[in-house]
Amino acid sequence: MHWIALRLQPEPLLCAGAKVSLAPDAARLADPVTALGWWALQFTPKVAWVDGALVLEVSASERLFGGRRGLIQRLFKEKMPLAPVNRSQGATSLIAIARLHSRGQRARHPDELPLAALAAARAHLATLQTMGCTRWGQLRALPRAGVARRFGAALVDALDQAYGLRPDVYPWLQLPEVFEARLDLAARVESAPALMFGARRLLGQLQVWLQLRQQGVLGLALGWELEGARRAVMQTESAHAAGDAPGAALASGLPDQLVIRSAQATRDMGHLQRLLAEHLARVTLSAPAQMLWLRALETAPLGGASASLLPDDVPLGDSLQQLTERLSARLSPQAVMRVQPWSDHRPERMQVWQACMTGAKNATYSIANKVHSTGAIGIFEHKSGVFYPTWLLAEPLRLAVQQQVPQYQGALTLLAGPQRLETGWWTQGGRLERANAAALRDYYVARSQQAQLLWIYRERLNARQSQSHWYLHGLFA
Amino acid sequence: MSSSPSFNLTQGTSVWRADALARPEGAVRGTGFAALDAQLPGGGWPVGAMVELLQPPDQHHEWQLLLPALARLEPGACSGVVLVGAPHVPFGPALAAQGLEPRRLMWIHTAVPLERLWAAEQALRCAGVVAVLAWLPLARPDQLRRLQMAAVGHAKLLFVMRPAQVQGQASPAVLRLYLLAALPGQLMGETQAGQGAGGGYADGLGMVLHLLKRRGPPLMAPLLLRAGPARLAALLAMGRTGASAKTQCEADHALDCTALAA
Repeated sequence: MHWIALRLQPEPLLCAGAKVSLAPDAARLADPVTALGWWALQFTPKVAWVDGALVLEVSASERLFGGRRGLIQRLFKEKMPLAPVNRSQGATSLIAIARLHSRGQRARHPDELPLAALAAARAHLATLQTMGCTRWGQLRALPRAGVARRFGAALVDALDQAYGLRPDVYPWLQLPEVFEARLDLAARVESAPALMFGARRLLGQLQVWLQLRQQGVLGLALGWELEGARRAVMQTESAHAAGDAPGAALASGLPDQLVIRSAQATRDMGHLQRLLAEHLARVTLSAPAQMLWLRALETAPLGGASASLLPDDVPLGDSLQQLTERLSARLSPQAVMRVQPWSDHRPERMQVWQACMTGAKNATYSIANKVHSTGAIGIFEHKSGVFYPTWLLAEPLRLAVQQQVPQYQGALTLLAGPQRLETGWWTQGGRLERANAAALRDYYVARSQQAQLLWIYRERLNARQSQSHWYLHGLFA
Repeated sequence: MSSSPSFNLTQGTSVWRADALARPEGAVRGTGFAALDAQLPGGGWPVGAMVELLQPPDQHHEWQLLLPALARLEPGACSGVVLVGAPHVPFGPALAAQGLEPRRLMWIHTAVPLERLWAAEQALRCAGVVAVLAWLPLARPDQLRRLQMAAVGHAKLLFVMRPAQVQGQASPAVLRLYLLAALPGQLMGETQAGQGAGGGYADGLGMVLHLLKRRGPPLMAPLLLRAGPARLAALLAMGRTGASAKTQCEADHALDCTALAA
């Protein structure tokens, strides 16, 4: 058994309004007490808060960290993402705590430790002192039955525990099932991008939580409470009492929030931070923010990435998924598109460019809807594709006609065709479709005066039209 | 003064003799055109450098030029091709037929010049991307330089499509090309002289390529490249010469059939 006790150093700076001066230390976690506990959990599962100190039992995990020495070095020497702490060690938790309390002196034999450092003895300290008993060793030398009768069994038990005669059993620290952290902002934050500083601290805490739970985050919500929010809620209540319509007051009093979703579970805080920054840059706060909270909406198990021995194997830069999410966050989800083949004969419906960031459920839903109306998801057919142009015009461009020759920057020369297309008639009566969704077209490959190959079509006459028109539909780029 | 023997030009890659092509700084990817490969330093598109393609307004030859190279890139997790601000809708069936798997494509559709630049730079930094095609008609030289630096740092293929008017502007690109459609007769002459009976390429499917800038001696005569799918070329040639080449073409498409009937 080997115990380590940690205690947060009292921070005189925090009392004054000097909190802002801590700003450069961005790695600080939101709530140091919680954060210290979570951080300690990565070394051993036996972590508990006892008597104002955090105790860790590390003997079981020594081998993992390269022996006791390696573990201690890692605990104490490595830069901790935490507030400064005092620390001590001992064979039992109570010895470690007692050494922590009598810090400043050299690590002493347990018999030499002051009774004031033993929580169970503190109530009887005055009596014990008049008896001439100030050290653990002196108390232990007294007859056991007499001490138990005089001071209660708790003191004897505590002494046994301190000397390792009884096991150290504590309510061990456990991570919450759902991550949610709050941060009271020290200063009023008036612009949304400035919230990023607080959000970074919350993300730091989320990272510790995810690491220990071996999870990756799929969705998270960052929210803030505005200064006027509480007042607004109170107003709403009074308005309710007066029988007024509460709508307007409620709308202004709602706490704002940002929801960010990721298609792949991630533990990469740098990526989430960039996404949050993109979203925050577009938010305007109606009032200064007072409080910030972060909640993990959805998480999924995520194993650690295995490192490669070869230096070349490590890919540089972020993944395609992260790129998609970042671009969608800055530009708009509709601006980042991927192509989906579609089974239809009309060229403009052979493919669907859809946003990469539509949620998976939504995408299947919309596709299922479309299957009913037009066709089915297809694959791109390789054989006939060579006769199609590489650029398609989003809207066919109507061409002028002179002497029955279509014009596009000069007269066009028809090179090949016609390719007759007669399809889509079943959509004609559709409620949502345009009236001319049916395609009756003759496609030609034409050459312009500048020798650019074009893909044009002539609408074939039907009963309702008296004159056929030429349209430009694609470019052989 | 004769060149000093102690000055060894083969040491570095940033110094080269004026009458020879430079050695490329990074890797190269074959362009798919033997005639073009022979004129490029290293014999292909430079990886990790900007290539600028200039085209006259309303002419588009970028896919013809780039598809052979893009189709050769090995498929895999890191083979994304990002289009930033394409002028029209990329047509998946045609691209698939010419060897570029459309699932690899990502199309970033924005009209704001700064957003395009930002998106292109982000795409260059991404590990899953192998090539970036950016349409940046309004970019300034300093903005292009920034893109060029990003391409150098992340070893990606970067093609920037720009209008022909910017030909006089300074450019940080290591390779500048000016693309024009081959006028009727140009390719015919070339095919008859060089290839004989192996020709049959139609007007409009080829292009004339002026090498404006490369690391090496200036190229005076433009290159004539025959590009585009061979079957389309055969179809167009048949349209011109009559049904003389019936046997070359399989009649598995409506256009084929009409050409055969013509």
